[in-house]
Amino acid sequence: METGRETNVIKLDEEFFKEFEKELQEAGMSIKDLRSCIQCGKCAGTCPMALAGLEFFIKKIVHAATLGLREIFLDDSSVWGCQSCNRCVEICPMEIKPYELIQAIRRVSFREYAMPSNTIDGLQNYYKLGHAVVVKGYENRRKKVGLPELPPTALGNEEMRKKFQEMLKNTVLAEVAPFPLD
Amino acid sequence: MRKIGLFLGCNIPLRRPDIEYSMRYVLNKLGVEIVELDGATCCPAFGIMPSIDLVGWCAGSAWNMAIAEEKEVDIITGCGSCYGSLNEARYHMEKHPEIKEEVNKILGKVGKKYEGVVKVWNFYNYIYEEIGIEELKKKIKYSLNDIVCGTQVGCHNLWPSKAYTSNDDNVFKPTRMREICEAVGGKAPWYSTILDCCGMGALGSLAKEKSWALWRRKVSKMIEEINPELFVTGCSSCLLRYDNDQAQMKKGGLIDFEIPAVHIAQLLALVMGAEPEKAVGLAEVPIDGIITKIKGGK
Repeated sequence: METGRETNVIKLDEEFFKEFEKELQEAGMSIKDLRSCIQCGKCAGTCPMALAGLEFFIKKIVHAATLGLREIFLDDSSVWGCQSCNRCVEICPMEIKPYELIQAIRRVSFREYAMPSNTIDGLQNYYKLGHAVVVKGYENRRKKVGLPELPPTALGNEEMRKKFQEMLKNTVLAEVAPFPLD
Repeated sequence: MRKIGLFLGCNIPLRRPDIEYSMRYVLNKLGVEIVELDGATCCPAFGIMPSIDLVGWCAGSAWNMAIAEEKEVDIITGCGSCYGSLNEARYHMEKHPEIKEEVNKILGKVGKKYEGVVKVWNFYNYIYEEIGIEELKKKIKYSLNDIVCGTQVGCHNLWPSKAYTSNDDNVFKPTRMREICEAVGGKAPWYSTILDCCGMGALGSLAKEKSWALWRRKVSKMIEEINPELFVTGCSSCLLRYDNDQAQMKKGGLIDFEIPAVHIAQLLALVMGAEPEKAVGLAEVPIDGIITKIKGGK
């Protein structure tokens, strides 16, 4: 578009900007939605991350994403502190589904190995045992309350667990898992 | 006879199986046949597959839902994260048939198929809608005898409401959990921080002190306003925060109160006559006083 005159603003690196938008779009965030954000702050008013005092809570995350500030998310771990509570999705007047942005940023960061160790541990447990959270001593706890030592889940069902692992080998995990799938 | 597929998740069977015992006890007393979802896995939790890939997340959830579909049952869960992850995946696949198609290609490799017909219930909505308050009252052996309950519904049980087929009428003013507590003889008043997050989950893993402070902020208001004798949660993760983490905070001198906590399934198991050693056998905050008060009733 011809503007007719030069304006004195900071110029964003357009290629860089578009590149990040493309990454986010591929990772599941609608760029049309992202661009509709009016920074009204309703999400911040309900966000547990904001209430808990994290530096980067949802409104700032959306703002940084609209400015194409990709590197911020690789340095700051706040997106991994999101509770996935969806208050922001429920309350957003522009219906941009801010939580989907958190997930998209996590997906981009994961591919840069910018993720917390409990994500790797959880993922590995999920693949190997069928459960992300396996706290030692579960056999005794189950016995104590009169239940069989193993639950009827994949943990206690080897045939299904193997089939589940075969299924996961057909997902993106085959390409991005930070551990061998065998 | 009613049938339902019991989806266990991770924390319930492996960390707090007393909730699993209670869910089984209550459903059995209500005449609901429990169908085991053999080979079910983690939902998957938000911090793992959903944070890596949308299709991978949906495939993981569809694996679980397909097991229920094969057995022609709907699903019930006592964990808010499981409820959220399964329902959100179901919603994504319903809205985007191309995702469902990709998921079925993945499942097809191991001879599975996801149709998209299964309904995923959380525990208290199932009781509220499928059983009903009046029917529930008939199965109660003991009364809560006016015990003041501080209720914690759990974020994922309410939002995103678009993904849920059952919910409170006003998702920012939920009443169902409180109605159930009152139906069994308790008092469950509204308090100003009732909607606040307990802080358990990703925030707790990333910034434990901040997430504990978030919980203390919420609970100190609750104590000031309604002085609860018992915390009642609609989600197993919330229970870990209200019971197990509370016990740690007390030990560390971070709080000066000690208020027992139960999951809503445990509460119902107790008033229906379950053995406390099994229904709340893994509680860390002492709960004997509440048991005595319940048993001193009707």
